This record gives sequence, structure tokens and C-alpha cells, in this order.
Amino acid sequence: MRTHDVVVVGAGLAGMRAAIAAHEAGVDVALVTKLHPVRSHSGAAQGGINAALGNETEDSTENHTFDTVKGADYIGDQDAIEILCQRAPLEVYQLEHWGAVFSRQEDSGKIAQRPFGGAGFPRTCYAADLTGLVILHTLYTVCVKYNIPTYEEWFVTDLVTDDSGNAVGVVAYDMIHGSIETIGAKAVVMATGGAGRVYRPSTNAHASTGDAMSLALRKGVPLKDMEFMQFHPTTLAANGVLVTEGARGEGGYLLNKDGDRFMSKYAPNKLELASRDVVSRAEATEIMEGRGVDGCVLLDLRHLGRDRIMERLPQIRELAIAFAGTDPIEEPIPIRPGAHYHMGGVHVDNWGAAPHMPGLFAAGECSCVSVHGANRLGGNSLLEAVVFGARAGEASAAYAQDVGEPDVPSNAAAETQDRIEELLLRENGPRQGEIRDELAAVMQEKVGVFRSDGPLREAKATVTELKEKFQGVVVDDKGRTFNTDLIHTIETGYLLDLADTMVTGAIARHESRGAHSRTDFTERDDENWMKHTLAYLDDGEIRLDYSPVTMTKYEPQVRSY
Amino acid sequence: MASTTFRVFRYQPDSGESESYHQDFRLDHEEKTTILDALLRIQNEQDGTLAVRYSCRSAICGSCACKVNGKTVLACMTQVEEAKAESGADTLQVDPIGNFAPIKDLVVDMTPFWEKFKAVKPFLIPDGPAPDKERLVPKAAMEKVAKESACILCAACYSECNSLAADPEFVGPAAFAWGYRFAADERDAQRKDRAKLYSGDHGIWDCTRCMFCNERCPKGVDPRDAIEKLGAIAFQEKVTKDKGARHAKAFLISMRQGGKLNEQLVGGYTDPVGGVFNAPLALRMLQKGKLPKSPLTHKVKDRDQVTKLIKNVKETI
Repeated sequence: MRTHDVVVVGAGLAGMRAAIAAHEAGVDVALVTKLHPVRSHSGAAQGGINAALGNETEDSTENHTFDTVKGADYIGDQDAIEILCQRAPLEVYQLEHWGAVFSRQEDSGKIAQRPFGGAGFPRTCYAADLTGLVILHTLYTVCVKYNIPTYEEWFVTDLVTDDSGNAVGVVAYDMIHGSIETIGAKAVVMATGGAGRVYRPSTNAHASTGDAMSLALRKGVPLKDMEFMQFHPTTLAANGVLVTEGARGEGGYLLNKDGDRFMSKYAPNKLELASRDVVSRAEATEIMEGRGVDGCVLLDLRHLGRDRIMERLPQIRELAIAFAGTDPIEEPIPIRPGAHYHMGGVHVDNWGAAPHMPGLFAAGECSCVSVHGANRLGGNSLLEAVVFGARAGEASAAYAQDVGEPDVPSNAAAETQDRIEELLLRENGPRQGEIRDELAAVMQEKVGVFRSDGPLREAKATVTELKEKFQGVVVDDKGRTFNTDLIHTIETGYLLDLADTMVTGAIARHESRGAHSRTDFTERDDENWMKHTLAYLDDGEIRLDYSPVTMTKYEPQVRSY
Repeated sequence: MASTTFRVFRYQPDSGESESYHQDFRLDHEEKTTILDALLRIQNEQDGTLAVRYSCRSAICGSCACKVNGKTVLACMTQVEEAKAESGADTLQVDPIGNFAPIKDLVVDMTPFWEKFKAVKPFLIPDGPAPDKERLVPKAAMEKVAKESACILCAACYSECNSLAADPEFVGPAAFAWGYRFAADERDAQRKDRAKLYSGDHGIWDCTRCMFCNERCPKGVDPRDAIEKLGAIAFQEKVTKDKGARHAKAFLISMRQGGKLNEQLVGGYTDPVGGVFNAPLALRMLQKGKLPKSPLTHKVKDRDQVTKLIKNVKETI
């Protein structure tokens, strides 16, 4: 059996940062990823990474902390947010030292910073509109330098636990060679990213199927705050592809069909740079009330001029031309809100450790520390991935150095093998594609920007039906080599689990907070609902529990922009 | 609505069939449909065994490079109707990228690609300890490597590379774009060592300058330009022992002297030892009028124009 001290599942920003930290702490760490590391969806992040460097104006980690607490609509844990913001400059400098090609200020040569939504100061460091790509590549180059063993195109099917319920490894399907193997470990770090594919349209990659969350949930680990899905205000109508918040940070306007900058009605101070939940609701309202253009509003960049667009937003121009047939230098881009980032995830503490399972750690979008609460600020996701990726790497290494040899069940891979054989033998039944389409459609329609009891319960009923239907799912491809049909089918099972936790949490939360906006409970209710949702899977049913929010010094205030 | 036949390369090792073949799939689709969306619909609705790599579908993850009617593209970024309009036919042939061994259908073995990437030492090697804050880099200096930093490692350039087709060991365009990205980064202290590493066998001088990598790169990285700039760095760092570098140098000397190419000088200078063995070839070339009769450099009329050009190029690199 293959073994390592620490196994990290997922090789995007959080996963690679964790692996680097664990390697530097002196343990044997390996990455396992269903893609090649540079294919990870972190690379699609465009606008930037927040850190109070104060390069453009005075700024402080306190400012950053306050903006994040407020952005989270007071359901983020304030101690965790303090850690995030305090470590932010160190992590950005570390990335720079490793070679990240950040855009620079004209004269000083310091890292340039741009304004972003919900932030009081220009705090977002960037590399044109390719920030995620540049940081992903930087971390990959460090993994190459350190020669960190990487199982590329290995799809994880199970989280393995010992008799006492400790995490001791994973089972994975080697897609190229067709084998199913156990990789034993003293600690497992989950970093598989978001579950945006529960929705359609979504800015997320096809691979963003929330694997780690479902793997943990099925082993008794609760998922936290799953009802909070962020809808990004600017996504392309054709396919949901992201248009960075940096477009508004650079000065872009949002216009309705009458050419009005409608944000002045909804956020008179911050306008287009209010936080994302506020802007998405404003857009959805304009569209619902008949002031949209073919189900969209318009993002106008023309006044920025060709030079600025070419220098700061080259990828946006390329994508708008390729997918919307629109050159933003010449005309406004039709955009609408689309599922983008999942605030919820595997319930972990400030070190990324899962309190319900020794040896299990999680970081990045698949985890919930929680620093984003009910609404993440733009530029804070790359930051969270590196800060808590590093901390999870450090903590998992320390745990691995402390704990004894793991007792990895010898039949783990064989059990998975049997299950997959059984699935492949099945003939006649629905295929995963139709189940996924139906799921994404109902989530989009009934668990979207605005929610209310009736549609949420209908969505729950559909999810339950689809879960039953999934029991008879059929895989077309019976082969062993690069069987994407099999992988999609297993992923569809993950998506169904996660949709169930999202809907169930949303039905129960009788208030409007951040991205969870109820038309039947329109106010934030701090007295009853300033608490985290914990979702467990008990005999196939979702059970909810709640845990307190940690406050340090920021009292909840009315949130306006 | 539109309708298209996709003639897809198939290779199914699990089926016991060891030969590859093409299979036609007919698909009705909306006018605005990408090649990737079409392939995924075929996979979903007609044949679940069809294998293709993909993920982000927004031209950034670099997974889905393939050949459409012989031309390498990102499947997610290419509209079906535009590809049809370009070829004038109703059928689109979809093949895996070139210069790699197939694993299954459109999925190829990328191992050599990643090995070559790693071989260029693709990481920053600075001198001395890091400062407390960021290293200060003038905006213009950072922008020097901005184009190469946008490389998504999709291997479209390897698919099209003629040097690679002739020499499978050729390091290749994307890896050299990355090599340049570090060699030209003023935070890196290995400029000379990198120039040495990238010269030599299968190195930068083995590029045939066919320009296909520039032409087909979906992200405008222009790998050939990066290779050229690496050549300039090799000269600046006096890493010029390589045959390829000597060839370039001889070319330059010849240009400086006469404003035109002097093959005798180039041949002799490039490979003074091996050149002797080429004497019979030189004689044959002389007989066919491919070499100037006199070894003395013939000078062109407007030589000062050539000198100006050389100066211009020197200043831009």
C-alpha cells in the first residue's frame, strides 16, 4: 500500500499551499488530484487577493477585518477573520518571494492594489485579470522545486477511517492506469474546492463538484453554513463565465435598459462596489421589474478606454469577445448574477482541523472556518485559500508528527472496487447527465438569489426524488481507462448530497442574511439566527444542528453600502 | 438551430481494439455552441465512452486543446459554426493534439510535456535572503514577462511544433516560454545558468522558426518570440559556444560585413571542425551556384540601412 505522512486531496491554491507548508515542516506529504494541478479552478480567479499592504493609501489589518466581518453579515467567526487579515500581508509577500508576477505601481515598484467590492480601501493585489492563474502557477512551481509527489488524475472515491473513526487515508481511482488504490496517511487534508456545479449557470469549472464535502459528510462529519451560496453579479449570459469584480474596481458601470446606473438606488455610497450579495439582488430586482435587457443588465467599460482595458482587463475582453460576441471597448457586456462561490463547507476550526474527526483537515472553498460568513468579499477567497491552506498544512504536519502509525483497513480499496463493479454491471436506468440537468435547473430556479418557503420545499422534494432515481443510475462506459462517465456519475452523487444540505439549511433559516435572502423573512434576525448551521447525514437524511458564532470586538450593525 | 457532423478520433484500448479510427456523430445544436459543449453533449446523449479532458470551459485551465480540421484550438473557446464557416464544410474532424501518444480518444499522454516543463527549472531562484516586504520591481520590468506568464500550459504549441515532430527530445515552445519568464525576471539570479541550460542539444537553437506556435497559441503568449529573446539573453550572457548560437553569430557578422548572407562564412564559423566534413557538400553547392564564388564578402548597396536595422533589434531586446 502507498503511504505518506500527510495526503492532500486537491491541488488548487489551498491544496498546494498546504502541501508546501507540510513539506517545509519536514513531513512526507503527497498531493492527490483528479486534474493536473495547473488545471485547478483557482486558476480561473481573476480580480485579485486582498491584503492590507497600504501600498496605495493608508490601510490596516483592522480595516480589512472590519470590512470582512461586515461583508459576512456578522456570521463569520471574528477570531478566524482576524487571523485571515493579519496573515494576509505575509502570505502575499511570500507569494511574491516565490515569484508571483503581481502588477506593480508605476514608480515605487511595489505591488499595485485596486479597489474591490465591500472594501474601504484599495486593498486587492492583482496580476492584470489573471491573479488566480499566476498564484496557482507560482505554487505549482514551488511544488516542482520541492519535488512533492503528486498523484495526477487520481479521483478520490472514499475517505478512509480506522476503527476509532480517525482519518487514515483515501481510496482513489487512477484514471490513466485504471486501478483503484488505497493511499494511507496519518493525516488527510481536503482541498477540493467548491460545489458550484450544483447550479447552472455557474462560474465554476465542470470539475467543481464539492467532492471533499460529500466524502466527509458520508463519514459523519458535519458541513457548516451550506445554505450560503454566493451569486456573482457579473457573469456572461451565454455560459455563466465570470467577469471579474475588478471590472467594477477599475471603474466599470452597471446600467439597466434605460441607461441608468441603478446601483445608486440600492447602495448610494458604494454604488457598483457594494458587496456581491447587494449588487446581485439589485440586478435581479431590475431584471424582475422589467428594466433588464434580455434577462441581463449591462456592464459598461467603454469609458475606461482601450489602453486601460488592454492593460488591466485583457482576459475579460478576450472572454467577452469569445462567448458574448461583444468587445467591451466598443459596447457594454450583457451580464447577470450567477452561482459563484460557496461560503459553506466542511466544519473546521481555525487550524483547518475537523473537530468531529481526528486526522481530518480541510482548507479553501470546500471548508468552512468560517471567515466569509453569509457573504464573501471579492479578493478574500484566494487569500483564504493560501492563509488557511498554509495553516492546515502546518497543523496536519504537526498532527502527523505526533500521532502513531495509522491503522489503515486493508480492505478499503477492495470495498470500493466491489461497489464500482456493481455500478458498472447495472444496465437500463437513467444516466447521470439527466439527473444533473434536473438538479441544476431546480436549484437555479428555486434556491437562487431570492428564496421563500414554498419553492424551497419544492426543491427539497425534487432533490429527494433525484436521490432515489440516482440509486438506479447507469454508467455507459464499462471500461477502466479514463472513464469520465464513471467519474461524472460518482460526482453526481456528491452534488445530490450537497444540494440536499443547501436546501435543508435554507428552508430552516428564517431570516435574510448575506447571500441567503428570503422574501418571506426579509430581515436579519440576530436574536435567533446569529449562529452557524451544521448539517449531518443520518441514514440518508439531512439533520440540522447549530453552533455559536465567535465574536471578538465587532458588534453587529445595520449593514448598508 | 444548426446541425453538424463531428468526425471524432476514437481509440478505445479497453475494448480490445488496438487500432484507432474515426467515428461520425450527428448533432443538432444551437447556433452558439462551442466544440467542447458539442463533445460533452455527444458524451452525454450518444456515447458515454467518449473520453476528453476538460474543466473550466473558459479558456484558462488549458485542458481541452485538440485539433479541429487539423488546426489546434481550445475546444471550449471555439464556436462550431465559426469552425464550419472557416472550412466551408458541414463536417468537423476532431483529433487529439499532435506529437503525443493517445491514451483514449482525445486524451493523450502528457508525461513528456510535464517532464520538459520541469526540465527548464521553472521556479524563481533569487540571490540572497528575501526582504521583509515585497521585492521592488519597476512596472515596466515586471511587464516584460507578463505575456509569458499568461501561458496556460495547454500544449497547443507542442501539437503544432515542427521541431518536435523531427526531434521528440526538443524541449519545446511552452517550456521555453516559461524559461524566458524566469530568465527575464529581474528577481531571478540564474540568467547565465539558464542561458546554458536552454542552449545545447534539443535546446533553443533547434527551433525551426516555423512560427506555428505563435500562430496557434490561444493566449497570445508567442512562444517563438520567447525563444528568440532567450537567444538574445544567451548572447548577452556570452553563452555562444553552442552550434546554434555560432550560426546566429555568423549570420550577424555576415550581415554586418556585407549586409547580406555569406554562406561560406556562416558554414565555417558555425562548425569549424565539422565543417571540414561538409566540404563535399560545399563543393556540390558551389557547382550548383548556391555559394558565392569568392569567399570575400560582397557588399550590398544600402548597407547603412542594414546596420540601422541591427541596431534597432538590439535596442528592443
